[in-house]
Amino acid sequence: MSGGPDDLARKVLQPGQCAGCGLCLDLCPYLQVVEEKVVMIHPCGLKEGDCYRVCPRTPTDWEDMDRSVFGAARADHVLGHHREILFARATAPEIAAAGQYGGVVSALIAFALGRGEVRGAVLTAGAPGEMPRPALAENPEEALACAGSKYSAAPSLRALHEAARRGLEPVAVVGRPCQVLAVRKLQRARGLEAHHLAGRKVAWVTGLFCFWALDPAFYAFLRAKTGDARILRVDFSPDSLLVHTDRGLLSEPVDKVRGFVRPACRECFDPTSEFADVAVGSTEYDEAWNTLVVRSERGEALLRAAREAGVIEVKPYPPERLPLLRTAVLNKKLRTLEAQAARGESSHLQLSEGYRRALTGRDQP
Amino acid sequence: MSILGVRLDEPGRSVLLTGNEAVARGALEAGIGYASSYPGSPSAEVLGVLAELAGERGFYAEWSVNEKVALEGAAAASFAGLRAICVMKADGLNVALDTLTALSESGTKAGLVVVVSDDPGGHSSVKEEDSRYLGKVAHLVILEPADPQEARDMTVAAFGLSEQLRAPVMLRCVTRVCHAGGNVVLGALPPGPAGRPHFGRQERYITFVAFHGLQEQRLAQARAIGENWPFNAYLGPPEPEILVITAGPGFLYAREAVEVLGLGDRVGILKLGMSWPLPEKFLLRHLKSASKVLFVEEVEPFHEENVGYLVACHLEEVHPLAIYGKKSRHVAGPQGPGLGEIDVDAVIRALAALAGVPHETRSSDYGREARQLVKKMPDRELGFCAGCPHRASFWALKTAIALDGREAVVLGDIGCYTLGLTRSGYFLMQTVHAMGSGVGIADGLGKLGRFGFDQPVIALVGDSTFYHAAVPALINARYNRSRFLLVVLDNETTAMTGHQPHPGMGVTALGEKVPALSVEEVAGALGVPVTVHDPYDVRGTVEVVYRLLRQDGVRVLVLRRTCALVSARERKPRVYVDPERCVGDACGCHRFCSRVFGCPASIWDAARGRAKVDEAVCNGCGVCATLCPQGAIVVEEVG
Repeated sequence: MSGGPDDLARKVLQPGQCAGCGLCLDLCPYLQVVEEKVVMIHPCGLKEGDCYRVCPRTPTDWEDMDRSVFGAARADHVLGHHREILFARATAPEIAAAGQYGGVVSALIAFALGRGEVRGAVLTAGAPGEMPRPALAENPEEALACAGSKYSAAPSLRALHEAARRGLEPVAVVGRPCQVLAVRKLQRARGLEAHHLAGRKVAWVTGLFCFWALDPAFYAFLRAKTGDARILRVDFSPDSLLVHTDRGLLSEPVDKVRGFVRPACRECFDPTSEFADVAVGSTEYDEAWNTLVVRSERGEALLRAAREAGVIEVKPYPPERLPLLRTAVLNKKLRTLEAQAARGESSHLQLSEGYRRALTGRDQP
Repeated sequence: MSILGVRLDEPGRSVLLTGNEAVARGALEAGIGYASSYPGSPSAEVLGVLAELAGERGFYAEWSVNEKVALEGAAAASFAGLRAICVMKADGLNVALDTLTALSESGTKAGLVVVVSDDPGGHSSVKEEDSRYLGKVAHLVILEPADPQEARDMTVAAFGLSEQLRAPVMLRCVTRVCHAGGNVVLGALPPGPAGRPHFGRQERYITFVAFHGLQEQRLAQARAIGENWPFNAYLGPPEPEILVITAGPGFLYAREAVEVLGLGDRVGILKLGMSWPLPEKFLLRHLKSASKVLFVEEVEPFHEENVGYLVACHLEEVHPLAIYGKKSRHVAGPQGPGLGEIDVDAVIRALAALAGVPHETRSSDYGREARQLVKKMPDRELGFCAGCPHRASFWALKTAIALDGREAVVLGDIGCYTLGLTRSGYFLMQTVHAMGSGVGIADGLGKLGRFGFDQPVIALVGDSTFYHAAVPALINARYNRSRFLLVVLDNETTAMTGHQPHPGMGVTALGEKVPALSVEEVAGALGVPVTVHDPYDVRGTVEVVYRLLRQDGVRVLVLRRTCALVSARERKPRVYVDPERCVGDACGCHRFCSRVFGCPASIWDAARGRAKVDEAVCNGCGVCATLCPQGAIVVEEVG
């Protein structure tokens, strides 16, 4: 499936379907970003472009991605490829404390940087309550400075191009599910040397759980709520926005925030980073731990090394919690299929009949 | 052609001078005490030369902030008894006109010569205004030299005439006089400005409607002088069949046309050195003998209309007489009658038709033929120079406007940055009028919010233009609560006319160091918030413009970076493409540097399929290196 910048503008940018991953930025001088909005400032005139090829919101054959990333079709239509699903946390108290929950992402990246397994990590930086920004960490300290959840769509894959420009390799990528997909599309695209080098230099990809990202207007809303207070930490419970400040805890019903959800996120089919080597999220259960989904052989090897080095500890995923995770993911996927049908646009999702049936339990209308 | 010839104290010696240099020489010989100008093509070099000689000749010269101020300064010198010259282009005359129309009514004392250069064809102007009409409105005597010798001669004569009439005299030069080189026989140089300036307690120079009659008397006096004035001349047989009435370079074209066609016994040429007021008796004497009259002049049919009226008033004396020229469409350049320059061919065609002689003018297809001989001769578009900071500014503006997404309106005016309306400025600029007019238009648009107008407004102005004409509009904007972003494209010089100094540069025409008056000082004093940024930092500039576009009220952004033609004299890093890093057409940029960004130093190496920097053209700004997505362009300090 090929296309160019005009198609990208028509199918992705104009209908508000850009996920803000940042990978198309810096491939050319024509795509620029402001306040997490990607804008085409000049028609480059090419009929085909890498921007279109790597975009996570251009047509993507989901099962073909499974085969190219994992070498096999998926058995689990909801959660994708997984070798293990665990509870995990960083053993170092300072890392666990810095992280949003169990600090697993920070611990893995710091571990890999510290051991020299990667020379750089593509991350997202930014203080709580501020618009986040792409970051390229070169040592554990810089990686730890990026700890903590971010709630809007920083175009952090820009840092992957920055790493390529600086000759920093190999690198680890931490990203939202859309960013994981973008990196995977970059890695399997063929033909245009320079940019692919950036993809080939990715040692492994840590995906985050992400059910939505917010528009940066959220930060103005936040500032209005918190006034002069300093924001220490932002978090979401299933029904509340929780803002920890130096003057105490503020809470807002999550419904007040829903209006800020990025339109593209309403059509996201992948809340658990199905194409990552490992995927990490909250447990929605115990704040001291993360959910860790080990998806690939590489992910498994990384986790093994991290456990042997004693930086990560794990425990079994509570069996009674698994159906809750599965339902949440399935519902997100079904909502997306409905939203796409309602919008009437051709979907970026290319799903086989079999997959669709397995998911919905019925044939395509 | 050089300043050496202008300063040469050898009366009777013939030297090669341009028309501009000849005017300067004439002013020296007239013993001026005061010279002022705002730089404008094609006459910018007049004051440039005078400023260089002011020290040794003991007179004063300045680059003024605008033509009105320049003229008022020159008038002051005249009132105080010093001969003064004031130089401007036609557009500048419009700026100075209010004062000029008053000066001819109030009268002047010592000789005051106003040199106005017209630019037929607009070689370096946005319009081809025929300033003679405004000279007539101002009740001025208008002299028109045909070549550098006359430029010198008429300048000297103009001072005498001005003193005789006690009014300013206008010397109208066109590009082909200003920039042409010719032999000029020099006159004597006086020791220096005569006398100590003094403004007598009883002297009055008052503009008052009651003095209108005085203006008309002065013109009548000038007309009488013109009847026997040597610059109004006739050349040809005593009783010509066809009379050509011409002035300026048209005289040279007519003389050559008559010669080429061998019509010396049938055609006479009446050359008007004084285009206004008309020497009526002299004209009528020759009109009576001819049956056809052909007008050869640039740009508009000024003589044609005025002499046509004279003919109408004296029909019985001149009958039968047919009038030919622009209105009959006989005299026409390639764009048609009354448009652009004329040349010898245009006059030959007209005369051949009138005389009924066959003549093939040289094929105007020689351009096409040359092109066939030299295959692949590329078109050369008008564009910013290599390394021009404006290119970086326009790319940053284009980017910020696209990111802003609200269809910002971009208003401009006259200067190098006028090219912002072309590909070189990414077609951003939407209005071009007069000096500083973009600011006034922005001021207007910025008040239309009450009708629902919600597009951001950007006015662009150069640094020299800012001092010239932007300040009153900025004051009005603040006073009347307009909303727009004024971007001052500050290249720290008056670049377009040849890098003349301005108030922001801390140096005068005489080379004296003075305290610089920055744009931010001026705007800041008006209470308008000012941001200063370096346009070579494109990414930073985009952020600043984006942020400022979202602010309210009037705000100023100074994008400051010295003109690349100036800075490259001091420092010129080597910029080249690393062919290992440039991936050619495999890059998503689609030849950004050579095809889109458009710096003339960025070229495409077709043989290697890679971008390349033409190091002979490059001025070393390195902006392309910051925009190349591959980081393939290397900037290397030299020396």
